[in-house]
Amino acid sequence: MTAVRFAGIAKSFGNVAALRPTDLDVAPGEFLTLLGPSGSGKTTLLNICAGYVAPSAGRLLLDGRDVTGLPPRRRNMGMVFQNYALFPHMSVFENIAYGLRVRGLDRADIASKVAHALNVVQLGEYGQRSVRELSGGQQQRVALARAMVIEPDILLMDEPLGALDRQLRKDVQLEIRRLHVAQPRTTLYVTHDQEEALVMSDRIAVMRAGRIVQIGTGRELYERPADTFVAKFLGESNLLRGEVAAVHGDRAQLAVPGLDRPIEGRAALGIRIGAPAAALIRPETIQPRTSGLLGRVVERVYLGELAAIRVRLAGGHELWCRRLSGEVPEGDAAEIGWDPTAVSILPEATQ
Amino acid sequence: MRGRIALNVFAAVVAMVLILPLLAVVPAAFSDKSFIRLPPETWSLRWWHVFFNDPSWRRALLTSLNVAALSAIVSILAGTAAALGIARSGPALRTVLTGLFVGPVVAPVIVLAVALYAIARSFGLVGTTTALVIAHTMLALPYVALNVGVSLAALDPRLDLAAAGLGAGPWRIFRTVTLPLIAPGIIGGGVFAFITSFDEVVLSIFLAGPTVKTLPVRIWEEIRVEYTPVVAVAATLMVALALLAALCGRLFLRRGDR
Repeated sequence: MTAVRFAGIAKSFGNVAALRPTDLDVAPGEFLTLLGPSGSGKTTLLNICAGYVAPSAGRLLLDGRDVTGLPPRRRNMGMVFQNYALFPHMSVFENIAYGLRVRGLDRADIASKVAHALNVVQLGEYGQRSVRELSGGQQQRVALARAMVIEPDILLMDEPLGALDRQLRKDVQLEIRRLHVAQPRTTLYVTHDQEEALVMSDRIAVMRAGRIVQIGTGRELYERPADTFVAKFLGESNLLRGEVAAVHGDRAQLAVPGLDRPIEGRAALGIRIGAPAAALIRPETIQPRTSGLLGRVVERVYLGELAAIRVRLAGGHELWCRRLSGEVPEGDAAEIGWDPTAVSILPEATQ
Repeated sequence: MRGRIALNVFAAVVAMVLILPLLAVVPAAFSDKSFIRLPPETWSLRWWHVFFNDPSWRRALLTSLNVAALSAIVSILAGTAAALGIARSGPALRTVLTGLFVGPVVAPVIVLAVALYAIARSFGLVGTTTALVIAHTMLALPYVALNVGVSLAALDPRLDLAAAGLGAGPWRIFRTVTLPLIAPGIIGGGVFAFITSFDEVVLSIFLAGPTVKTLPVRIWEEIRVEYTPVVAVAATLMVALALLAALCGRLFLRRGDR
């Protein structure tokens, strides 16, 4: 059962391939985030789903129905734009009521649905305000209410929190998550912010250069990234580059020049003996350890509850470690190690 | 500081040179004598009675208002459509079309007048309201097209997408989103169009006839025969009505801003 199916969807603008042939299934009620840097094709994919951009190839199915050729107005989707795209000449009420008026609902119905939507986004008293009087966060919520009130089959959001300041962004993230959990609605969410993706999504599709590189839950992507690109894009990472020395089942050993012993870890797909690869060691998995690797603390960064420490190993490699601020060791000498089950041996991301 | 004073004085002198002739005509209209002298020695409404009791002056005033209103309406309809078309065409076509629509503004009016006269004659339209409206629309339409074009350029294209995503068809989007947001441009252009037509004289002299004659044409004919303060009355009316049109437009825009 899929709510949305992208089947071989591709898009080129002239000679530029914005989106390579892509297959993607979204389950009913799922919150799926398209995460990637700018130019990775995530917004193109979203616009194809909305019907604003026609794909060069492939088909788009909603509930098994082919909608590839349908104009946006026949798709019943709710779209939230990056800068909200609220109608500036209308009140908050009129903005939210717009889609209901188009659908020909009667006056009383519209009034009650808009009132309910305003309550859901906690703007109960703001119906008669002009949207121009609202703050960015309030406008964002009006845009959300306008998209949700039409009870769309799919909710589409294109970096809707991009214009908000950090604290507000965190509040709205949690609010969107709460709304989604209370009433699950198939949602496609575009962002380049990894934290946003982790907070809100059921699954995340990491995109790069017009392709989906990896898709999975936030935890899967963080703990088992497919390659060095995903590893760097989600969370902090130490990557030590070398050559694969041994592979046993799903374990591999990486010989890193300058380190006297190989690094062992989980082998990602595509790891072959003799091929160049990188060992991913997350900063929080690095612990002080006797009979570990010897190094020297070269930098300490206070981050509040956590502190980041840069350790230079004897062979010249540098690793960032994260410790609770209260547990930062004194002195320059450090002896560190890590749990090999928390290490991944990853292929280098291809261009 | 001294520079600023000098600048203010300069600005005041320029403003006076520009506006004084306009202000001179107004007192002249309230003279008691049968010739124009400034300032008038005695004040009266004598020439206003003459103006409004003369059917030819009254008819000229009504013709002017009628032609200006019709020209403004045609300019608004055609100019707005043109601006929408230009905004939605590709960059090369847009340059060509913009040039085409600005053409009548930069072309020498006397050339337009000769050409229009020849065409109107062959269709038997000289001396008709139709000919005047067509001619004035040529001059007035670019103001609407340019004004609306500016409004359209400031319009966020995602508003169209948002409305379409909410289920609205093209006509509904135009009516509920595009039109209200470009209304200031349309009204501003319409006021310009009205004023352009209202004080147009060159084309009108060529195309007016014995029964269809605009106020500027009537004024011009009058001063070739005799130079009485009734001309000043007509001129004062023209200034007042043009100001009124501009004021109405401004008030309307102010209300739309809220």
